[in-house]
Amino acid sequence: MGEFEVHRVRFFGLVPAGVRCLACHPRGSRLALARTDGAVEVYNFAANYFQEKVIPGHELRTVESLCWAAGDRLFGAGLSGDITEYDLSGLSAARGVDGGGGPIWSMVANSTGTQLAIGCEDGSVKIFQVVPGGIQFERNLDRRKGRVLCLSWHPSDTHIVAGSIDFFRVIDVTSGQTVQRIMVNHHVEKAKRECVVWAISLLSSGTVVSADSFGRVQFWDWEQGTLAESHTVSTSAALSLAVSEKEDSIIVGTSTGATYQLQLLPVTLGGQEKRWVRTKPFQFHSHDVRAVAHSPTALISGGLDAQLVIRPLMEKIQKKSYDAALRKFTFPHRRLVSCARKARLLLFQFSQYLELWRLGSTEETGKDGEVLPLCQMPEHLVQLKSKGPEHIYCSCVSPCGTWVGYSTASRFHLYRVHCDGDGVSLRKVPKVPKLLPPAYQLQFSADSDSLFVASARGSVHVFQLLEPGGCKHLHTLRPPSGCSEAVYLLAPSADGHWLAAVSGDWVSAVVPSVHCPLLQHHCTVPTYNCAVSALAIHPSTNNLVIAYSDQQLLEFSIPEKQYTSWSRAVQSRGLHRAWLERDSPITHITFNPKNPSHILLHDTYLLCVLDKSLPLPDDSTLLMNQSTLKQLPETARKRQLHAFKICKKFQPLLFMDLLDENCLVVVERPIMDFKTQLPLPVQQKKFGT
Amino acid sequence: MRRGQRNQGSARGPDHPTVPRCDTVLRTAISDQKPLGCWSLKHGQILTCPVVCNFETHEYIAVHDDKVLRIWKSEDISLDKAFKATLSADVYRIHSLPHGGLLVLFRGGGVRTLDELLEAPQQEIENVISGEAIRWSGAFMEDQQPVLIFTTEKDEDFFVYVQKPKLNSLHKYKLEQQESAKPLCFTAHITNQTVTLLCLYSNDSVYQILIPLQQDTEEEEEEKEILSKSLLLNFSISQAVLKGTSLVALDKDHIAVLGSLNAPKKQPKECLTIWNTKFQTLQTSKELPLGTSGQLWCYEEKFFLIHGKVLTVIMYKCETSSLAAAVGKLKCSQTPDVSSFMNWNTLEDEELVVSFQSQESVGLKAESRMNLRSKKSIDAELPFDSLSPGQVLARFKDAPNYLLETKFRRLMARAPTPDLQATVGGVVNVLTDRCKNSKYYPQDFLQEIVETWDLSYSLCPDLMAVGLEKKDMHLLQTCLERFPDIPEEITYACLKAFLSISEAHLENTDVNLDSVICYIDVESDKKEVKTEIVENGFSAQMDQDMCGTKIPKESQSWSDDESCPVGPQKAALLNAVLHSAYTETFLLPHLKNLPAQEAVLFLRYLYYLYVKCSGKVNTTLPGIRSPTINQIMDWMCLLLDAHFTVMVMLPEAKELLSNLHRFVRAQVRFYSELNKIEGSLRELQRLNHLRESHTYSIEVLEII
Repeated sequence: MGEFEVHRVRFFGLVPAGVRCLACHPRGSRLALARTDGAVEVYNFAANYFQEKVIPGHELRTVESLCWAAGDRLFGAGLSGDITEYDLSGLSAARGVDGGGGPIWSMVANSTGTQLAIGCEDGSVKIFQVVPGGIQFERNLDRRKGRVLCLSWHPSDTHIVAGSIDFFRVIDVTSGQTVQRIMVNHHVEKAKRECVVWAISLLSSGTVVSADSFGRVQFWDWEQGTLAESHTVSTSAALSLAVSEKEDSIIVGTSTGATYQLQLLPVTLGGQEKRWVRTKPFQFHSHDVRAVAHSPTALISGGLDAQLVIRPLMEKIQKKSYDAALRKFTFPHRRLVSCARKARLLLFQFSQYLELWRLGSTEETGKDGEVLPLCQMPEHLVQLKSKGPEHIYCSCVSPCGTWVGYSTASRFHLYRVHCDGDGVSLRKVPKVPKLLPPAYQLQFSADSDSLFVASARGSVHVFQLLEPGGCKHLHTLRPPSGCSEAVYLLAPSADGHWLAAVSGDWVSAVVPSVHCPLLQHHCTVPTYNCAVSALAIHPSTNNLVIAYSDQQLLEFSIPEKQYTSWSRAVQSRGLHRAWLERDSPITHITFNPKNPSHILLHDTYLLCVLDKSLPLPDDSTLLMNQSTLKQLPETARKRQLHAFKICKKFQPLLFMDLLDENCLVVVERPIMDFKTQLPLPVQQKKFGT
Repeated sequence: MRRGQRNQGSARGPDHPTVPRCDTVLRTAISDQKPLGCWSLKHGQILTCPVVCNFETHEYIAVHDDKVLRIWKSEDISLDKAFKATLSADVYRIHSLPHGGLLVLFRGGGVRTLDELLEAPQQEIENVISGEAIRWSGAFMEDQQPVLIFTTEKDEDFFVYVQKPKLNSLHKYKLEQQESAKPLCFTAHITNQTVTLLCLYSNDSVYQILIPLQQDTEEEEEEKEILSKSLLLNFSISQAVLKGTSLVALDKDHIAVLGSLNAPKKQPKECLTIWNTKFQTLQTSKELPLGTSGQLWCYEEKFFLIHGKVLTVIMYKCETSSLAAAVGKLKCSQTPDVSSFMNWNTLEDEELVVSFQSQESVGLKAESRMNLRSKKSIDAELPFDSLSPGQVLARFKDAPNYLLETKFRRLMARAPTPDLQATVGGVVNVLTDRCKNSKYYPQDFLQEIVETWDLSYSLCPDLMAVGLEKKDMHLLQTCLERFPDIPEEITYACLKAFLSISEAHLENTDVNLDSVICYIDVESDKKEVKTEIVENGFSAQMDQDMCGTKIPKESQSWSDDESCPVGPQKAALLNAVLHSAYTETFLLPHLKNLPAQEAVLFLRYLYYLYVKCSGKVNTTLPGIRSPTINQIMDWMCLLLDAHFTVMVMLPEAKELLSNLHRFVRAQVRFYSELNKIEGSLRELQRLNHLRESHTYSIEVLEII
């Protein structure tokens, strides 16, 4: 096919924030995750664990605890002392209510999801009623000295157990009185250190399970106040625990990065008497496992090393599917990098600032695998800090490299980039039209004349960019029928005639763009039951290529309003099994203008040139056959060629784009690079060191 | 003599019993286990007596609705159009006698030959018996005269009639009464003008009744003679008691009894037993765990019985009765062994329960008729797609070749079910069965099946044997590449076939060349291949004779390592063998049988591969399914092991072996040197890695 000059970029210093807490949706279909920077993400189990929604963080809004309540409403509480509800369709933190007890350490919803209990710094446990449109303070339960670090409702909602330092107590919800107070380090001789109860759970049998900083998981009979069982799972702290719905399995996260499963098993085979047994240890994380969750079929853990690990319980899985494999997610399922093809600039998005880099260049050419000498080094042009506590939602650099835009939760900013010689200056475009909701995605048109801003309720704003540095709101494109979800992906066509938009309810709509006299909705791509992870419009054929989170690829002809014959052929034949079983979704699609049959796409672990002119591979052929092909003589290759040309050289891949015909840019972020920037984990003695 | 006397109705020899059901007649070939013909009555008509075959005229005779006689031949399709005669009296049974024509026994005790009846179907039939019901009948030939014996019952009294229709003689005897026991089953045989009637009584005993045939004196005719009986056998095995249901006399000393063995505190077990009456011993027994209908037929040293849902045929052999045999000391005992069985609901289809209820058991008639009708409709008109795979296999086993393939294709195109794999295996087995010893060979179809389905050797054990027989190299190659469980014997047979087949033959064979295309340049090797053919054309003997002159020539053509000693087709086939899984211990004995010339050729090819592999840095050959260096080395070792002495002796192997040795020695030296370098390189690499914190580089990436 050909050789590419690949700009291999490893200077994107992204450090993903650690996972602070997890909350499984009661019906087990979604997982909410909060990071240490306050960002909240929602993963959809049904759509290959796609990171469906991301609500960027806020400097002042840390999230200590998340919980689902009243159906699909998501609440978060943190050390700011506020209880925040998240607007999942508008992708923003909606309402904040002061908890009134200082920093909130924990929050749990009762079994029906009608009440929230919060544990506060001042030792109080407060009950809030979930009402339509918000929450309402209901009452205080018995307050004792010592911050309440963890809480758990009894499944029948009659009691709450609250864990503090050195003790936990059981509170009767109706009377509000503490009915039992148990010292957890009572048995330890000469307890010099304080013992923090990090996580607690109240089982329906009346057993209290606590995980504490001594690395113990203990089972208490709260009525008697006696210790039933104690398992020391770790030499360092046990930080988190989650109980399965059937209450027969527990996952515990520790500060060494190890997680353990405990199972309630019969003492003798077939016997009635059951005991908790520590069954499986896992070491997926290098840092503290602050959050664990137990879905019906998997153990889920999130660590400060930013990894989310989903470890399926094989005994609970009936058939081999996507769910049957261990999944690890470190990087977001969306792009944080944008590229100015013509100007060869890269814009990196961090949580609170942007970096603009200019790529280096070379004058040499070489053979496969060679590293070419640089005649010009890459250059860090400018760092643009976002003002205020809000984190950046999205950013984009225009193809010509003269415009940079970004948006936070409340404001949209546009800058004009002036390159004069070596110096680069940024000038803020004044009087940018005020947009009420945040922009979820920014996209410049190919000729850098206009800017598309993805917005809430399925609408897209079109701005006209004016020289030398102005901006005018042209109009707002809205879907014909109402749409409650925000648009999170945009794809303009190269000729400027079309714009494809994807909103959260998984509908990708195609609307004519600015140059079209009739600014109305053109058509809607048939709904598919998985989220769109990337899409792009082919520059010459105006075919819309869509990648779904279940790894399906579809090609939709916009002029004909139907799937193309190639797409139908792919669907009828089915994609290669190895392709469908991949780990991460496609996050970017681009095309080679010189070779219309080529589609370039990438996920975190591979980049692929999809050549539509070649036959599709079937399951018996090798999908990743590049290295085999390279060994073959030229004449023998023809028989082995298939449509998927996959390169796994660059990992983990955060971004890939085609700069010109045979020049690629790839942005890698080696795990080791950012691991070194994380705080040191708990020191463990390793054998042989 | 025993032919055609039992309930089942006689047939065209024991291999082709007609199997009657209440409204359908099925003719089955026992040896092939397949039905040969099937005729059905119209709805509402019932067969009232077993169908018999007249083996002089090869006609079948059936009676339905008591009075209607039907006669047809096997080529007739419909019973409705067959010859029909309505008689004036109810028929009890038709007996077919070899060389004796057919005898029709009426319910009233009258007997006519079939020919007489056909002349005047409406003739009056006399009533011989009054108010008695016939329980059993048998027909024999004695002195070229048919003899008909039947027993009747009236008010707990049993009577025996002996009729000689040709002589118009009839004798009636009364059976001696037995307290608290009733006769259940009769069987008879005639020896020396004496009828020996054996009677199974409900008190688990067999009685013998002797009836002389010669007493033709007129005076005694009217007198009802009372027959005395003698106890022949009592079925008691230690504490267990055999409740017999059917009885068959095998020879003068042996009887077979089908019944259930009731042991105290145990489940009754159905079993077939053979007893020696002379020594009163149980000769042998066979358990029938699936249950039987209680009926037992016996023709020409074969038992026929219904075991579960299948008609089971058991061969037996009765030795002359001797004490040694009776007490089980005879060397070759007469164990009955199941030779074949006919299964017309293959793969257990619940809806096809065919019940072979006794014709006598009137109570069950209605029910069985219902079952049979449903069976018939399924058999006849069921659309193809609703047939279960097993049915399709059974049904199309005998279909013409052209039909077979299309039907099986349709079968395999069905939505995948858990047992589809087994079905495909069944399809292949049907095909290979047909291919054996016949010209039929659906090469493309078999190839397609093997390529599309993940079969294994054990699923279709005959496939590769057939492939070897038909010299289908491509099929063998595919099987070797795909089957995980090929026995070493077959692997060896393939290897031998591949090595011995001529290159010229292979030139025109379609063989998958994927594994060799990348390292053998087909074009440039053509010339080499040609010379090789000539060399292989020599017989082993000629080679022996010419070896003196041959060595130098061969070493010349061989000395350059570049040329492949075999053609690409052969190489591809050999690669398939290299790829197959094997266990050394099992393969080695077979490998020893490889002819020396072929062993040398194979070794040469292995050597060639080895050299090719070593040419690459990663010692892997390019291409798909090309052999790995480990496979090459393993086979080389095996081959040298198996033919060590031969190789030492064989002059033409000398050069090859010394070349090989030289090469291996060089490799060993080379690798030991590499070992040293590796240590230093590893250290360098480690240091390099530390420095490799480049944040930016421009690299060249080739995507093919």
